[in-house]
Amino acid sequence: MVLIAGLALSGCAPTRPPDTGLGDAAQALADAREAGAPTYAPLELRSAQDHLNQAREQAGKRHHEESRRLTDESRADSELAELKARLGKLREQVQGATADNERLRQQSAGAGGEASP
Amino acid sequence: MSRAVSTMAGMALLLATVLAMAAKPDLDYERLRASLNSLAADPALGSLGQAARLTAEQAVQALRSDRSGGKAGRAYRVYMAERRVDIAYAAAQVEHQQNQLQQLAREHDQILLQATQREAERARAEAEKLRLQNLIRAEEVQRLREEGEQSAQAAQAAQAQAEQAQKLVEAQARATELARKEAQLVEAANADLRKRLTHLQATRGAEGMQMTLDDIAFAPGQAGLRPAAKAGLGKLVEFVDRDESKPIRIEGHTDSSGNAQANLALSRRRAEAVRDALIAAGVTAGRISVVGLGETHPVASNATEQGRARNRRVDVILLDTPAG
Repeated sequence: MVLIAGLALSGCAPTRPPDTGLGDAAQALADAREAGAPTYAPLELRSAQDHLNQAREQAGKRHHEESRRLTDESRADSELAELKARLGKLREQVQGATADNERLRQQSAGAGGEASP
Repeated sequence: MSRAVSTMAGMALLLATVLAMAAKPDLDYERLRASLNSLAADPALGSLGQAARLTAEQAVQALRSDRSGGKAGRAYRVYMAERRVDIAYAAAQVEHQQNQLQQLAREHDQILLQATQREAERARAEAEKLRLQNLIRAEEVQRLREEGEQSAQAAQAAQAQAEQAQKLVEAQARATELARKEAQLVEAANADLRKRLTHLQATRGAEGMQMTLDDIAFAPGQAGLRPAAKAGLGKLVEFVDRDESKPIRIEGHTDSSGNAQANLALSRRRAEAVRDALIAAGVTAGRISVVGLGETHPVASNATEQGRARNRRVDVILLDTPAG
């Protein structure tokens, strides 16, 4: 049984297409979009999409070296887009929390003021 | 003959090109190098996002070391290096904002705690006032009874006393409730402190690896470690005992508020408190030196509360070279 499975696996391996990283790049793009890049990093996201399209095109023409570079570029674009999106959201949260604390401080100062004789 | 001439001309041209390339400064490299250097030197961001910065360093270095792939290869490497530098900045900024958010959450808890403490204090004072009033009324009722008064006056006084007693019970319940809430908030702050202590990470400083204990390990304005901090120093002990041959320097720091001389003294006493806790945990006393630097070495701006909170800290440094 194990032998058959082993044979089946080793038989499969050479027929698999070489891993070009296109799948990872597409995933990175989806992650960036998910993180909010359309709002916070539209330029980087656009660049990631363009590079990915070109990478696929070059892969279709069997220009593997060119495709690999474009794939790398797309991934780097997506990585930056995702970070910028997270940064944008964090900045908003920091602003919100700062304002909250300020309000809370004033409230508790106000409450203290009223009660003191 | 003419072939020889053209070969020589070709070689000369090639040589000239090579020389020109060697002499021409690599502007992309210089620019990205400078950008990374200023990130590393940034007081707020320099110590953050180190993994992304390392990747960027490698990408920028590849501009010099990797000459493959001709023009397209070069364009690819420049693009990647630029992106990696941008990513390094963004990663450091993300970490910075996360730190700020955590700091704000702690501040939030602190404000709530202080408000609750004030409120509890007022409730206790109110209950005490009512208790005294109640005592006086009870004496009044007692006096009227003893005088044999069966009048409406006595009945009224008894009624007033009953009401007063009810108020007292309510005030005491309120004081108890507030004390309970206060205890909960203190426990939450302790849990936060313990969590942060177990997540302490060593970073590389100029003189060796170091760990930073921040402000909340200490009670505000005091030199002693909080009990919860003392109990949670395992990570720090593990860090300094990673290499027992290395000397340890403990540096205390404060923010710039208050008197500089007092800050020096406070920072030294805090550093000493950390030393004592390390020695109590079994670290060899002879390895440790202590210094209080007061407000002289800020790592963030003293203009904001968050910056001040980051400046109030104790650095524990595992020195690479023996102290001299």
